[in-house]
Amino acid sequence: MSEPLINLQAVGLTLDSRAGAVKVLDGIDLVVREGETVAVVGPSGSGKTSLLMLIAGLEQATRGRITVAGHDFTALGEDALARARGGAIGIVFQSFHLVPTMTALENVALPLEFRGQPDALASAAAVLGEVGLGHRLEHFPSQLSGGEQQRVALARALVPSPRLLLADEPTGNLDGATGRQVVDLLFAASARRNTSLVMVTHDEALARRCRRVLRMADGKIVSDGAHAETPTGAAA
Amino acid sequence: MTVEAVVEGRLETNRQWLPTVLMLALRELRSGIGGFYVFVACVALGVAVISGVGALGDALRAGFESQGETLLGGDVTLSRPHRRAEVAERAWIDARGRASESATLRAMARRLDGSEQSLVELKGVDGVYPLVGAMRVRDVPVADVPRLLAGAGALVDPILLESLGVGVGDRMQLGKTEVQIRGVIETEPDRISDRMTFGPRVLVDLATLEVSGLAEPGGLVRWRYALKLPGVSDASELVRFRDQLKGALPDAGFTVADRRDPSPQVSRTLERLRQFLTLIGLTSLLVGGVGVANAVATYIDRRRRIIATFKSLGASNQQIFLIHLTQVVVIALVGIAIGLLLGLVFPLVLTPLLGDALPVQTAFSVRPWSLAIASTYGLLVALLFTVWPLGRASAIRAAVLFRDEVAPDRVRPPLWIMIATASIAAMLLAVALATSESQRIALYFCLSLAAIFALFWALGQGITLLARRLPRPRRPTLRLALASIGSPGGLTRSVVLSLGTGLSLLVAVSLADSSIVDELESRLPRNSPDFFVLDIPRADIEGFTALVKRVTPAAHINQAPMLRGRLVQIAGRPVEQIKPTAEVQWVLSGDRGLTYGDAVPEGSRLVEGDWWPAGYDGEPRVSFEADIARRLGLKIGDTIVVNVLGRNIEARIANLREVRWESLAINFVMVFSPNTMRGAPHNLLATITLPAATPLAQEAELSRQIGRAYPAVTAVRVRDAINAFNTVFRKIMVAVRAAGSITLIAGALVLAGALATAQRRRIKQAVIIKVLGGTRWEILSMHAAEYVMLATATALLAVVLGSLASWLAVTRLMDVPFVFSLSAVGMALGIASALVLFLGGLGTWRVLNAPAVPHLRTE
Repeated sequence: MSEPLINLQAVGLTLDSRAGAVKVLDGIDLVVREGETVAVVGPSGSGKTSLLMLIAGLEQATRGRITVAGHDFTALGEDALARARGGAIGIVFQSFHLVPTMTALENVALPLEFRGQPDALASAAAVLGEVGLGHRLEHFPSQLSGGEQQRVALARALVPSPRLLLADEPTGNLDGATGRQVVDLLFAASARRNTSLVMVTHDEALARRCRRVLRMADGKIVSDGAHAETPTGAAA
Repeated sequence: MTVEAVVEGRLETNRQWLPTVLMLALRELRSGIGGFYVFVACVALGVAVISGVGALGDALRAGFESQGETLLGGDVTLSRPHRRAEVAERAWIDARGRASESATLRAMARRLDGSEQSLVELKGVDGVYPLVGAMRVRDVPVADVPRLLAGAGALVDPILLESLGVGVGDRMQLGKTEVQIRGVIETEPDRISDRMTFGPRVLVDLATLEVSGLAEPGGLVRWRYALKLPGVSDASELVRFRDQLKGALPDAGFTVADRRDPSPQVSRTLERLRQFLTLIGLTSLLVGGVGVANAVATYIDRRRRIIATFKSLGASNQQIFLIHLTQVVVIALVGIAIGLLLGLVFPLVLTPLLGDALPVQTAFSVRPWSLAIASTYGLLVALLFTVWPLGRASAIRAAVLFRDEVAPDRVRPPLWIMIATASIAAMLLAVALATSESQRIALYFCLSLAAIFALFWALGQGITLLARRLPRPRRPTLRLALASIGSPGGLTRSVVLSLGTGLSLLVAVSLADSSIVDELESRLPRNSPDFFVLDIPRADIEGFTALVKRVTPAAHINQAPMLRGRLVQIAGRPVEQIKPTAEVQWVLSGDRGLTYGDAVPEGSRLVEGDWWPAGYDGEPRVSFEADIARRLGLKIGDTIVVNVLGRNIEARIANLREVRWESLAINFVMVFSPNTMRGAPHNLLATITLPAATPLAQEAELSRQIGRAYPAVTAVRVRDAINAFNTVFRKIMVAVRAAGSITLIAGALVLAGALATAQRRRIKQAVIIKVLGGTRWEILSMHAAEYVMLATATALLAVVLGSLASWLAVTRLMDVPFVFSLSAVGMALGIASALVLFLGGLGTWRVLNAPAVPHLRTE
């Protein structure tokens, strides 16, 4: 069996607040392999997004060990995490988080530029063409529709050819039809590149498109299995 | 357009040779510098002041250089007190080129009826004056000076006509002779190269001067020889001339000046003024720095999500810091460029406004050095106030993209940011010290500024904490105002920091002004003599004393021999080789008054060594002023050499004296043992102190009687001299206040920026108050209460700090009693309240008129 892409062992996350320490995640064990698609579902406050942030290296676990794409995230400093993330992980946010002062092309080229890659713009243009925005390269985010913005964000996540795609409610800010188009693109791109996908969603139908569904409650993974095993029983 | 074309085009425009950080920084700046207007204005204002001062200094210097020959009256001048050039000396001078002889002295001009008299700066000139340049005389198109002066003619400054009540064509008394006023001087080409003038100019020819009896041996006359060297002489020839003079006339005691620097005294004064105003410019730049820091902090705060996005895409902290630093530097460069442009036009605008107040006609000139200093200051101050808030960017976590986080109120930046900030501050100090003549003053100035900034920062923190801890008043408007003052993103720190420094400076200047004016107007006249009488021939002193006693029997007369001489050597070293501090430079440059005596002069106290016994006849001894001796590194037993009347005299320092200069008693830096100069021809200087109740009429009568009996004697009323000085002093203080006000303008800019930043939050707050039933009046009262409390606290601390600074300067540096003036408190409170209420009021007006619905919807 191949080496796991994501390996979380007894991971916990406690955050300080004015009311005292809050246990956000507790005793998380998780293994995701290359090419897997995983949906994370659960009610608000169950720890879905925090789990995604730990996997992205954007948050440091307070307990346990996290290994992603061969990097021990619990042992890396902030800049080393940024470098590891830039090469191995692409992230798609619910609110897109495009840089408003940069064009679509520039937004997509950013991760490569941070790594000092000389052909950043050419690669960015190619990926934008892949998501159907080859004709919108010089448009600023404010000149694009919500769906187009999310496609730019998807292109930006894909451009460094990551081994892992993380998506946080990728359709949360989009209408139904547009959301479906973006999701189709997301799944097609990850399948074409054999990229693993971990997606946080409230949308059960969307979750069903993943081969594996993690269900969370109170900071713990309460079920982990193929979508057919989920309580809804629906099959893809 | 094809994808390839777009990418190709972008590759071209992005210029791939640019480092990634620079490319990304510039890419983001395409959308403009909105939000940075106050930043740009603050940098531009400070740089404009510094470069403007530099440009004006350069223009004056260029004027000096281009008109050097005219201002000096020739290529070279030789001058010395007391002694006219002897035949051999004159022959040597004439052999070098065309020469013109003149003599200057202070004298009294009187109406023929004796009813009015005035101290004048008398100048006697020969038939070839002026050698270079032209004399302009009112209503005389081409002034033929020798013809106008021939046969006891005089040309005078217009002010003399006023003070004596005479006109052109009238006659007046000069010493023992009568002269006719033949014209009014409009321009005297070489006036600047004469010593500082106190009275109006009277120009006569040398023949008239001789018959006036004013230039008798022993009188305080300065003889001057202007020389036009043959052909076009370059700088090396001027240096060669000096060497030749040293070789040919080694002990002649001439002071040499050449056209490269026609008046070292004026050059030095201008240089000091430039340095002082540069420090004021630096202060306004530093105050503006608060606006820079606010703008950058707001920018970073606004970009939290973008920075987080960068981080999520793999950007390192270093990359993020460098991207933003590059942007800020580019914006600072825009401010610096605007400041430099404004600074460059400053002399062009100011020259016509100042007109005759400037000592020389300016010549437009751009010196890279001045621009470099202003730019360096601008960039260093921008960096100093930028690096710290930029460092906070590293504390922004990418997690804010997933969940809203409360921005931490106080984040300590990483250690390297603190080290970078301290290094920039050290560089700024180094530049200030390196570009100042008096490093000690520059150091004190910078340290005081740092202390004032620290104190106002602490006051801002203190007020914020106090407002949070104070029990909340019952009245809702006061309660809300207090809450606003104590809120984390409130205006408190900005108001206190931006206005505090400028106000402290103004309070300090005002109090120093009132203390010095009080000293000049009330204390000095009360404690000092009433008359200084110059040039009393030794043979006349008994008759003079008898006359004074007859007119004012209770008068106290003090007298001392008076000569002028130049220090040539101290402690075995020629003075040319000594680099004294700015404070004592005057002692070594030019002539000093000298005296001798058997006893310690009045107003002096022996602090070290012994006075020579009466009738002492040994090795020449001298008593030196203690503070000046210390600064020159002189001690008892050292020798000094002075050139008096063309003879070098060596004397050993026997003792050190502390002199109370402010007593205005007769006193000198150097007092010699009488055997040193007994044989030298000289006149006497006397002071007359009248009883306090002496009526003015009696004072005037004494003055008239002295004038009538001793026409060659100059009696100056101390009160008049003080008034004349006071007039000049007040003009200087107006200029200093104007310079200080620039700091307040910078403060107002910072305040405007802080208010603009807070505007959105204040509108939201006002909308909520309105929704909850608050009236516009209540919102207005709340804002007014907040502004008044902040302005009052700031003004009061400014009064305390300004008073302390003024007290230190007045009592320690100037030895003048400190006088506190309530008007300074009123001024500080008034300016602070006016600025805060005006600028805040503009914001409040918009807050009051903001419709509630859009803000509630966006909520």
